[in-house]
Amino acid sequence: MSLSDLDYASIARTLSQIADHRSDVADAFFERSEVIELPAEGEAPGFRVWHESGVAVRLLRGEKAWLAARDGITQESFTQAVRRVARAMPRAPYPEPSFPRFADQKAEAGELLDFPSELARAIRAHHVSFSMRLTARRHRRQVRLIGTQLASGVERESFYSVVAELPWGRYGALLAELDRSTVDAVARQLVHSFRAQKASSPDPGATACVLGPAAAAALLHEAVAHALEADTLALGGHPEAAIGVTLGHGALDVFDDPSTAPEGVRRGADDEGYPVVRRCLLRGGVVEQPLADSAWARRSEVLRAGAGRRADRHQPPGPRSTHLELMPGEASREDLMAEAEGGLYLPEAERGYLDPLSGNFVLHFPYGYRIKDRAPGPAVGRSYLKAHVTDVLQAVRAVGREATSAGAGWCAKGGMKLPVWATTPEILLEGVRIRS
Amino acid sequence: MKVDPKLHEVVDRLTGDGFREVEVYHKRGRSRSLRLMMRHVVTSFREEEGWAVRAGDDRRSFFHASTGAPNPDTPWPEADGEGLRLPSAKLVPEWTAPADLDAPLVGEGEALGLFEGIHRELASELPGGRLLVAQLDDGSSEAQLYSSREVSTSMRQRVAVLYLEAAGAGAAVGPIRLRLAAREARHFQPLALARRLADRLLIAQKGSAPRRDRGEFLLAPPVTVALLDALRPLWIGAGAVARITEITDRRGRVASPAFTLVDDGRLNGGVLEAPVDGEGQPTREVVLVEEGIFRQPLVTWRQGGTQTGRPSGCASRASWRDQPLGGPTHLYLRRNPEVGVAALVDDLKRGYYLLDTEGAPRLEDDARRFALPVCGFSIDSGQPTGSVTGAWLVGTVTSFLNGVQSVARDLTFLPSAPGLVGAPTLLVRGLELRRRTDN
Repeated sequence: MSLSDLDYASIARTLSQIADHRSDVADAFFERSEVIELPAEGEAPGFRVWHESGVAVRLLRGEKAWLAARDGITQESFTQAVRRVARAMPRAPYPEPSFPRFADQKAEAGELLDFPSELARAIRAHHVSFSMRLTARRHRRQVRLIGTQLASGVERESFYSVVAELPWGRYGALLAELDRSTVDAVARQLVHSFRAQKASSPDPGATACVLGPAAAAALLHEAVAHALEADTLALGGHPEAAIGVTLGHGALDVFDDPSTAPEGVRRGADDEGYPVVRRCLLRGGVVEQPLADSAWARRSEVLRAGAGRRADRHQPPGPRSTHLELMPGEASREDLMAEAEGGLYLPEAERGYLDPLSGNFVLHFPYGYRIKDRAPGPAVGRSYLKAHVTDVLQAVRAVGREATSAGAGWCAKGGMKLPVWATTPEILLEGVRIRS
Repeated sequence: MKVDPKLHEVVDRLTGDGFREVEVYHKRGRSRSLRLMMRHVVTSFREEEGWAVRAGDDRRSFFHASTGAPNPDTPWPEADGEGLRLPSAKLVPEWTAPADLDAPLVGEGEALGLFEGIHRELASELPGGRLLVAQLDDGSSEAQLYSSREVSTSMRQRVAVLYLEAAGAGAAVGPIRLRLAAREARHFQPLALARRLADRLLIAQKGSAPRRDRGEFLLAPPVTVALLDALRPLWIGAGAVARITEITDRRGRVASPAFTLVDDGRLNGGVLEAPVDGEGQPTREVVLVEEGIFRQPLVTWRQGGTQTGRPSGCASRASWRDQPLGGPTHLYLRRNPEVGVAALVDDLKRGYYLLDTEGAPRLEDDARRFALPVCGFSIDSGQPTGSVTGAWLVGTVTSFLNGVQSVARDLTFLPSAPGLVGAPTLLVRGLELRRRTDN
């Protein structure tokens, strides 16, 4: 039984009864999810399965929103949630909609069981060996939005997350697939981090650096996506005021496009039922369209909805990015490395944080390489970049010509944990202060 | 303790399938949440119901969790995991549930009134001061636990958490963040909260940091709580004995005689007070460090032994989705009812009164040294002489523990994860303040 079996018409009719002001919007968000975890070796209980389902009913009126979320997708859970958000109940209500019975299926994920041994084999192929505690999860979710003005089809997501506790730190990644090439890529990253574990941190100071696709994705997530979320912009004034502001170098064309995300997480509609758009965040370094959900778009002539995301039914939606794309430039990898000779190559970033009020952000790099003879040379240890968003985005000097899907990670802004994805090339930054 | 027959049915079904170790946990909760951001208000009401099973024997195991009520006809996953052992039932000392567990959840109007009160008082304490974000979550829950090892218990909780973000006028001052927990949202006082925010914003506006300075330090509860929290590995878990042995001196002392550290799951009036933990084991007071002498670490039934000492019920479950995790419930430094904070300030000849942290602590040199970003006031002969911001409080862990000279009576608990950590104001010697260069 899928969420496509919901009786759209009768649910919308019931919601229309509580949207009794002209500009009211009422909607119901239905969610079913399954997470399967293969815990680290020696950790009992073993194979772990979570099945969840529920509904959240929301009423938007002016500057206010009411949300009622209940576990289970049943007539009772829906009706109770509607009653919770209703400001006044109608005298003659429509008949309550009926709901199909959703039953959990037996959870199976053979690919997870094979993952630890395949990863160990891939690491051994690099002639190294080290201990780690590996946890792997498969995440599946289907959501559907039915409202008084909109109704989406069923949106499905399926992806994997991996965490490795290592003697020298922690590694985490989100993966669209768990195939051979992904296992090889995870193994490569772990081996790089193993080989760099004892390297000294780079001397602090201004330098040129090339960010690998994963590090560039983390930078764009913090410095472009978070900085251009309508709720972040509102802390400093009107979100619309950001439009037309030059934020970065002219080489930066950045989009958020959930419809071009990796196949398992591609979206046609956001978590508010709005069709997703290919949203140009920066064109030539200039802000074009900030990220907005319906609550922010309702108050503005220029903000467009379509970027509303919810971590789950219990949380109200917020404006967030899904899949960032940095348009490729013209520089080859050799060009980028040549420009940054003597500087740093930073392939990955492990975490970042944007201070929404000051515009300062921090990005931590677990390891890197000193660029020597136009290639990544000796390894360097941990470092971080702390700077103002505009300073870093203005420091971009060139964008690589080959974009790769990379750098996805969990975003935890405001306690809402969401997977985010990115497709970016390498970028060259000049004169940024790297600290250790 | 009588639990829902559905829990018995699940345990019976799985023991019938050959699993010797079976435990079912069922939790229902409801919460009201109010979030104010700029002028935008979101009111949420959540009702959650879920259950979880841990099942296995000495060769295999699985974990299954699902929304709704326990269902014995669930299609269970394969038991592909390691062997599983569950705790046996223990005698639970008598306990009377606090009366305010039954208090109704905070209403929408009450919550908005609290926010408006804080906003108004903040603006009057500090012109231009404003609340950027305010969020109040007020919730209550009931849980039941039943296992094949005769654990049969139920528990209730009631917690309100308030989160505030405020900024000052003009140039970017702030945001200042505050996160507090109480049994009931009605315990939050707008005026006191507004004054705390205003103090912090004033410090951020006018403060500076000495390049490097020593002296006496008064550490307000948020500063000590951050340090105690960062030093958890010293007192919590089976590995704590080895770690604390490294910092024990020849007389068997790890801290000054003023330092007594306790964890108490039954703490009278504590936000999380309960007779049993998330595995149905009885909670109790455990003295971890007594007048500077290490007594034992905080360990669960699984970690207890001759080396680690007597276990206590200290495994919490963040929700029905989560595994029980050993950790503090109310970890606190014992207060001295004879000493007031004002007397400590008056007696401070030259030093600093550090009010709060400005970020997370860093542990360095294999956790022997710490650095904590702090703010507060410089003090001369008991009088404030300036505001301090952008400074690190640095020192060795042993210099902090042994440098505690005096403890005040103002024990204050702050939310941590998991549990709450509490401390009174401390007078400490042997630490250093350094200007932060990473601003």
